[in-house]
This record gives sequence, structure tokens and C-alpha cells, in this order.
Amino acid sequence: MRDATSRVVVDVTVNGLSYQREIEPRLLLVEFLREELGLTGTHIGCDTSYCGACTVLLNGKVVKSCTVLAVQADGNRVETVEGLESDGKLHPLQSTFSELHGLQCGYCTPGMLMAAKSLLDGNPSPSEDQIRKGIAGNTCRCTGYVNIVKAIDAAAQQMREE
Amino acid sequence: MEMKFDGNFEVGIPRAETFALLSDPNKFMPVLPMYHSMAAKESEPNTSIVKLKIGIGKVHGIATTEIALQDNQAPEKASYVGKGNVMGGAYNMVVGFNLEDAANGGTRINWHGTTQIYGRILSIAGGGLSGIAEKEITRVIGSLQDALASREHFEAVVRQAQAAPAAEGLIARVARFFRELFGSAPAPAAPAAAADATDTAPARTEPLRKDPSRGVIAPLGSSIQVDSDGSKQWTGQRLRRKEDERLVRGLGRYVDDYVGGHIAHVGYVTSPYAHAKILAIDVSAAEALPGVICTLTGKQVAAQTTAFMQIGAEPSANLKDYGIAQDKVVYPGEPVVLIVAETARLVEDAVQLVTVDYEPLPVVLKSEDAATDAVILHPEVGTNVSFAGVWDHGDVDKAFAEAAHVFDIGRLHFHRFASTPIETSGAVATWSPRGEVEIVCNNGLPGVTVQMLAAFLNVSTEQIRMKSEDVGGNFGTKTVNHTYIALAAVASRAIGGRTVKWVETRTENLACFHGGERTFLDTKVALDADGVITAIRSRHLDDAGGLLRYEPLGCSIWSQVYPATYRLRNMHIEFSQVMSNKAPCTPNRGYSRMQHIWFMERVIDICAHELGLPADEMRAKNYIRADEMPYTTPNGNIYDSGDYGMMLDKAKELIGWDEWQRKQTEARAEGRLLGIGIGSTVDSGTNNFGQVLYVNPHQVFSGNTEACRIKIGLDGSIVVTLGSSPQGQGHETTTAMVIADDLNLPPDMITVRTGFDSSWNTYSGLSGTIASQFAVTGLSAAHGAALKLKAELLRLAAHTLQAAEDQLEIGVGAMGPEVRVVAEPERAINFWMLSNLANANISNVPESLRDINLNVMDVYKPPFEPVDVEKKIGNQTLTYAPQIHIAVVEVDRTTCQPKILDYAVVDDCGVAVNPKIVAGQVHGATCHGIGAAMQEAFQFDESGSLITATFTDYAPITAINMPPLKTAATSTPSPFSFNGAKGCGEGGGGPLHCISAAVQDALHSEGVIVTESHNSPSILMEALRAPNRAQVVARA
Repeated sequence: MRDATSRVVVDVTVNGLSYQREIEPRLLLVEFLREELGLTGTHIGCDTSYCGACTVLLNGKVVKSCTVLAVQADGNRVETVEGLESDGKLHPLQSTFSELHGLQCGYCTPGMLMAAKSLLDGNPSPSEDQIRKGIAGNTCRCTGYVNIVKAIDAAAQQMREE
Repeated sequence: MEMKFDGNFEVGIPRAETFALLSDPNKFMPVLPMYHSMAAKESEPNTSIVKLKIGIGKVHGIATTEIALQDNQAPEKASYVGKGNVMGGAYNMVVGFNLEDAANGGTRINWHGTTQIYGRILSIAGGGLSGIAEKEITRVIGSLQDALASREHFEAVVRQAQAAPAAEGLIARVARFFRELFGSAPAPAAPAAAADATDTAPARTEPLRKDPSRGVIAPLGSSIQVDSDGSKQWTGQRLRRKEDERLVRGLGRYVDDYVGGHIAHVGYVTSPYAHAKILAIDVSAAEALPGVICTLTGKQVAAQTTAFMQIGAEPSANLKDYGIAQDKVVYPGEPVVLIVAETARLVEDAVQLVTVDYEPLPVVLKSEDAATDAVILHPEVGTNVSFAGVWDHGDVDKAFAEAAHVFDIGRLHFHRFASTPIETSGAVATWSPRGEVEIVCNNGLPGVTVQMLAAFLNVSTEQIRMKSEDVGGNFGTKTVNHTYIALAAVASRAIGGRTVKWVETRTENLACFHGGERTFLDTKVALDADGVITAIRSRHLDDAGGLLRYEPLGCSIWSQVYPATYRLRNMHIEFSQVMSNKAPCTPNRGYSRMQHIWFMERVIDICAHELGLPADEMRAKNYIRADEMPYTTPNGNIYDSGDYGMMLDKAKELIGWDEWQRKQTEARAEGRLLGIGIGSTVDSGTNNFGQVLYVNPHQVFSGNTEACRIKIGLDGSIVVTLGSSPQGQGHETTTAMVIADDLNLPPDMITVRTGFDSSWNTYSGLSGTIASQFAVTGLSAAHGAALKLKAELLRLAAHTLQAAEDQLEIGVGAMGPEVRVVAEPERAINFWMLSNLANANISNVPESLRDINLNVMDVYKPPFEPVDVEKKIGNQTLTYAPQIHIAVVEVDRTTCQPKILDYAVVDDCGVAVNPKIVAGQVHGATCHGIGAAMQEAFQFDESGSLITATFTDYAPITAINMPPLKTAATSTPSPFSFNGAKGCGEGGGGPLHCISAAVQDALHSEGVIVTESHNSPSILMEALRAPNRAQVVARA
């Protein structure tokens, strides 16, 4: 029987704040965020890294936090949906998703926003095809992706103009 | 809360002068209508302290703001940064402007502002802050624009101000300000006041903003955004949703978000077998694991509960379902042992330590095999057939005798899939020592579910507090997660009432919640010489899976759309349902109707191909016509409105029908397999629960109900609760829009608390979010409640204002929402004062008005008559929203991979309350149908094991597989709903119909008839390898 009670200390910077926690070594990053830090904006949808509801950025790169151990984030920097808003100002993606109705139930939205942010961080002018590929790892069951693609395009345009 | 505003307007004075005004708070602040006083901050010379008078709801006070000018680039742009306090709250703001020269020597002012507001002020304003702010900003701009129109106008304003010095207010302040600005004191002319006033009057009553040459004030942004179409009504506007405010921030509250240190976790040991006897269960090792609190076998659960209520009649009513296996398992994934442990991870550890001895039994997977009863799943039922009934309408024999053409069509099969919401099912349950149980869950039909739970748990419905908040998608599948919710409650009771949480894994979800599978047999179709279908005879076999969780209700639901979109009068359908060793079926978007419409569309296309008629002509001949609406189908359903022919024309235009016909001819010449297919569908919404009598004449449900309560809070705010349990359909927004129209208030001022809560006393026995109905049921209840509230407000206000009710109107005043005298708007009483009179200041209200509570509920009850159970005649739903889909599909000859080259959909939901939300529903339903038609299917091996048990195997459709959609809408208002709206969420499975049609159009030349609703490459390869036309279709 594995020893579930042995614990390790991790130090993870989440949305700019540093957190030190003693955790089970098998704790997943998504569980760490939700259960240890109370950051429930990152959701769990499939447990097998298909749906992307748990998408966060680890040192600026997109990861599915259901497939990353919390200990792998030790000493590293994590960004979640809760950190998208800065100085009380919504990220352009948050605004365009709402304006263009790029969300319905909102469950996939945090992961979708983080994947889209990573896409735009790397490519400020993506084509529709590139947008679709950029969110291919994120499943949305409500919108048919129609308005999500539009919202990412609109946010890209807004960010280029800023 | 954050509010953003921007806009632009033009003024008549030059840029430098305008800049001088706007960049100096000492000059510009006093012009504001709410100006109180101002002083420089001693320590910081660039900072001023401004006091403004603010009135919100019941409170009016002074807002103190420190503002500083920054980024001063005269005469182009500058901005103010400010922070301050007001009424128990705090705010930050940034307001900037940039100036451009405008025609005629004037200036165009582009401005933008952002403010964040915190604290109690938000509750005081009752969610209406942005509405109030918008109104104030409009006043400010109006004042500035009027005052700065021109020097001449300014001088006139000043003369008028001086003519009425007693009117201490804006005009006087403007006069004072302009005296300073222009350094000239206009001649005092008090005696000539009257004459001057008349000469100034026209200038002031000519609103500059309406003159396009002078610039227009852009619509103000607010927390809900309006793409205004110029209408005064909120209904029909493309409002941004209220719920987005929290959802884009990750602040939604879904069931799994209930986290805490003392919650125990529930999980299951599930069956690896599709059909097996349970010989022995050993939980000792699991119970010995530290952190495991307890285990419960099916027998232990049954000992303290009553088997779930069955919807069907005997013999299926004899089925004993405890949500957990008893002596045998009947599908893979069925719960066998319940485990409660300190964490979800420990539950998984414990699951591995339980041993169960099974004796495998013969497995029944195919519906036809199940119907033979060679192997029986449930001995207590004695048959696998859970329902059998005959629908017979018109004179079928006569129609066949007179037919010009008769076709026999072989087996057609609609496959199993599910819309798999990204949030799985879940529940958090707490059993109190008083025998009451509190449940937070994401169930879709809580009004009915609470009744199911009560009976199972041996408590009364009033002992259950059942609630839901944000729900991460449902699509029907969470209608029947009640067995798991109930078991969470049992688990809490088993561990002494400690709170437990159960959240389904994705694999459990894929194993246990499937959409309905149906097989169509022995179909015969009669047509006249023109190709008009005159009769259909067929045998339909629905597959409910291993247990009946909502079934056999689907055996009635399909007949809501009995003749689909066609004028067919003679039908004979023998409809039965079987249980097989697969997951129990749930309602799933398009529930039961999409299977039937797919069948009807297959019949239409097969007959059209055999007769050599184009698919569009075939439909045009057979469609119910617009001038026949409302149209009563042979089984008594009343199709309310719609023009299917016009919609088809529109869809053809949208996709470029003629052009695709041309391309198809070219493609065929090149040997390519390219097809064009039409899918006509109708989404029946607002269920008449009376149709349950078709499957069980002893049931006690009929009609439909939904509840809405509106109260005026003690602070004057407008608070709405609903019985529905939305899952992304925007109920907060559309409800606020409907009430806003009724009360003449902005939707921002209306707080809607969505989510079901049986302790709110705002629900009915049928409350929930199912069956394409909220636009009719929920919004009708909201409308009914708003009218009741309005009547109370006017009665009470009429007394206090000493005016007749018909002289009153509701609107927004400086003190928030108010009732006022139309002719004398200053004679007003705001909602806080009315609430105070109704709730806390009773002695000042005469006896005759003390029945007024400003807290009203309405339950909407659509006008359904009892159905005729014998003849199976009756109106099963209130509205019928059609959609026409067209797909162009190419099948690769080598890989047999189908690819959608173009896709168009036209929908008609009557009046769209919020067209943005309706379009979102159309997109979503279309995506589900395309996913199901192209890639999603539950597949089993010979032993009945599910081989699509993870998302990676099941592969729900993603953005790269979803084609761009061409969409359009027509609007034929429903005559049966107060607002002309029809429910449209389910969509009717249009993509399944049109993709099957397109694939058949592509492959017909190869001798292929499409008989499966799933179009995977392997199915198409088999079809091309062994063309089936000769076996499937015969001319009788």
C-alpha cells in the first residue's frame, strides 16, 4: 500500500503570490489550486487531459493541471483565471468573451481563457485556423466554439490596438 | 463591481476653450448637476477634493472624491484619476478625454471612464448602480453639451439663469462658470427676463444629440451592454449577460466548488461486467485503510430506503432500483459498493481494496435480442419490454390501398451518444440530527427530483432542502442524477450527518449517462403520384439500457413531433422499449424527438431518392404550410407557428444551393463523393406532463408549472428568485429583461438570484430547466409576478402621492426606482419608501392597503387540456420551434472520412427575448448534432464493455472539427406565449438529419442507403464495401 500520509513541502507562486504548503506527493496541481488554495476557478472536467477545463499557465506555458503534480510546480510560477484581471481591469479576453457571448455555462471558460491567453501571448495576430488549433485542447459543450473563436479574434485585435 | 463608460459628443466652442474648461476642475466641476462643493488639497497642489450629492435608493449622501489631473497634453487630451468614499463604500475612477477639432469651429470630445466600486453601496443600489451612473453621466453630458453649444447659446443660457436667480441649480452655476471662463459678465437684464427666456427656450428644447451634424452621444457602456436597435423595449435587445460578470472571473459556484476541511468524500466500486450475479463482497481491507470512514453495499442501502419511484406502469413499475446493485449488475459501471473516506484520493485507494465475486451472465446488447426475452435483466419485472403501445391515426389501410407508390424500408438505427457536459454530476449532502437533509447539487429537474428523493429517503419533501447554483452544462443528462444525489444523502446519514461530497469522474459519467438509442423496423411508406407521403407504418424499438431512470417517458415524448414537419395524416407506429445491458438512458438534448425526426427525415430522403425527386422539392411538397398554422397533427399536437418553406428557401440561399449543385456535378464528374443534405426539424418546448399518462395512466402529473417571486427589498432593491435551474441559458439576463419591460426600469436594477432552492419557497412541483421551456414557462412566471408587483406598487403609491393609479408610472428617479405622477415627475415616491410602508412603517398605511407586501409570486400554468389516453390524442407541448439545416459533405473514397464542406442553419424561435442567447443555443445544439453525426458514439465490445470510457476514446467535438456555421433566423411569433417566444434550446437534432441526408446523397450513386445516424469512417467504409440499397429499400 502506498504511503499516502507522507507529505512534502512545496512553494508555488500563484498569480504573483507565494504559497507554501505541506501536501501529499500525489496531489495534482489542479487539486492543489482548488483544495489547498481555494482557487476554484480552475475546473476539473475529464481527468485525462482532453477537455482543458483545468488549463493554467506554468511558467508562462499552457499545462493541463489535472496532469501535472503539485510537486512539479514547486518553485515555479502558476497563472490561473483568478489572475487574469489586473488592477481591477478585466483582461481583454474576459471582456470579449462576455461581449460576444463566448460562454454559456461558464465551466470551460477559465481554461479556455488561459489557453487563449497563451495563444495570444505567442501570436498577437492569429488566423481563424490558428485560433481553432490554439483551443483544440479545450472542449466547450455549450457554444459550438462559434463565439469563442470570434471573442479571441476580437481580443487579439483589441490587444494589438492597446 | 466595475463600470465602464465611453462616448463622444460635440460642442460649439473651439478646442482650446473646451480644453481650458475640461482640464480645470475648478471650472468644470461646478457645471455638474450634482455638484456640492470643492476645495484644493493642501498637501498636494494638483489634487482637488470635490463633494458631490448622490442619491441611490433610500440613501442620499455626499460623495467625497479626491481627483488629480494627469497626462495633461493641452489642448489634446488629459485624464483625471480619483478615489473616494460614499455611503459605506469606496471607489476608484479614471476619466479621460481627448479633443478633436470639429466642423464649424467646434470641438469633438471623445471621453472614456472606468470606475470600480466596493462595499455596501453596491447592496444599497440593489444592483442598479450602473443604471444610476449611466443616468447621471447622461445628465452631465447633456448639461455640458447644451451649455457649450455656442457662445450665443451660452449667453442666452446665462440671461435665462439671471432671469430666474431663485432657481439655484445648474443654470446659475453654468452662468457663474462662464462668466469666469469668458471673462465677460453678460448684461444683467432682469426686467427683460420673460422676453429673453422665450428666445432661449427653443435653443434648449432642441436636443443637440439628435442632430447628426452636431455629433451624437454614443450609447453608454454599462455592466450589461446594449447593441441597441432603437427599440424602447428590452425584449429583443442583444444584451450582454449578467451572469458573465462572475463566470469570466472564475467566480462561478459549481457543486464541486463547495470545499472545506470537514467534508467527507463518496465514491463507488463499480461493475466491470455488463451482466453478472454478485456472489460475494469483501470490504474488510477497504474499511481497514486509515481515512476510510465507512462502506455501504447495495443491501445495506436497501435496508434503510424505499426503491425509487418508477414512472412506468406495471410490469416495469415492479423494477426495484436503489441506485446501487443488489443481487446482480445489469450494465458496466453500475455502482456496487459505496465508500466514504476523508478525501477523494482515499476513496480511490479504498476502491482498489474491495473484492467482489461475480458470476457473469449472458449479455444482451441488441434491442431486437432484448425484445425476445431470451435473457431477462430484471426477474421482478419478468420481461425486458418496459413499454409497448400503438399509435394509430387516420386511415392507414385506405391510404396504402390508394397509394401510387409504396416503399418498404429495412432496419434503421439511431446510435447512442451523449452531450457530456464538462461539469459532471455532483452532490454535497448533509443529514441533520433532526432528520432533515440539505443537498447542494446540479440536478436539472429539482421540482420532480425532490419528490423522488423524499420517497427514497423515507422523509417528506419539506424535510429536504435542495439547492443548486451555477451548473456547468446539462443538456438533459443531469435530469436523472437523482439516484446518486440520494445515495450521497444516505452516506451522510451513515456517518452521523457529516457533510459528504460526491463528484462523478468522467469515466463514471461516460459509463452511466447515455442518450437514447432507437431502432426502426418494418417501415412501409405510401405516396401519391406526386411524391406526397400519405401514410407510414412502422415499428420502433427504443433502448432504455439496464435501468429505468426517467424511462419509459421517452416512449411518449417522441410523439410530440409525430408527423415531424410534414402534412402526413395517416400513421401507424408500434412503439416499444426494451432494457438491455448498457447504461441507463437519460434525456439528452433533442430527447426522444430527434430520434423520431431522424427516422422521418430518412424516410423522406430515401423516398425522394427512389422517386428521383430532389430533396428540396420533396420537402416543399410535404411540408405543413404556413397558412395552415396553427396546425393540429393527427395526434392532437398544435404546432403554433412557422413557415418551413420560407425557412428552407432561406437556408438554401444561405448555403448557396445552386452553386453547390453545380460543384456537386463537377465533383461527381471527377469521381468524388459529394452530397448535399437537408434536415428539417421542430423543437417542441414547454412540456405537457400529462403525456406521462400515455406510458402510465395512473400517474399524477399533468400540465406544467414554473414559479417566479419578486420582492422589493427593505433597501428598495428589486430581487427576483426563480424555480428554474439554469445551466448556461442566461436566465438571470432574460428574466431581468422581461421584468425591466414590465416595470419600466433598466435590467441592471433587477437582481435575479438563479439556481433552485427549495427553502426559498419559489418553486413548483415541476420546476426545473428541461424541454426547451424557460422562454415560455420561466419568463411567463416572471411576467406574471412583475404585473402583480406593479399593481401593488401603484396602489400603494396612489395613496401616498394622492393621485389616481392611472396617472402614475414607474421609472428611475434621482433616488433610484420610483413611482411618480406622469404629469408632475417631481411628485414621486421611491421603492425604498414604498417598501418601508409595506414592511416596517405599517401604522401610516390605511387598513385597506395592508394586504400589500411587495413580495409576490406567480406560478405560470400553460393552458393544457387533459390528453385522451386511449386514442393518444392531445397537445403535448405548447410551442414548436422549427429549424432547417443544410450540410454539404464529402466522403473521401480512400479513407471514407466524411468532411463537412459547408453548413447552414435557419431557426425560428418566434420572438427572441435576447437574440444573442438564442443564437448561442442554436450554435450549441448544432455542435452537439455534428459531433454525434461525425464522431461521438458509445461503443461496446462483445462482452458489453464500454470501449469509449474516457474523453480520449469518446472524443467530444473540438474547435478543429467544428465547421464554421452560416446562420440566419426567421421569426413567426407563437400565438400561445405572452411574449411570442418559443423554447429553442434542444434544437431537434438537425445536424444528424442533414448529415445523414448529405452522406446518402454522396453515396447513393454507389448503391448505399444511410441506415445509421453515426457516420464514422468505418461505418461508411462498410457501406461502400457492401452496398445495401437492394436489401434496404424495396418497391412494394
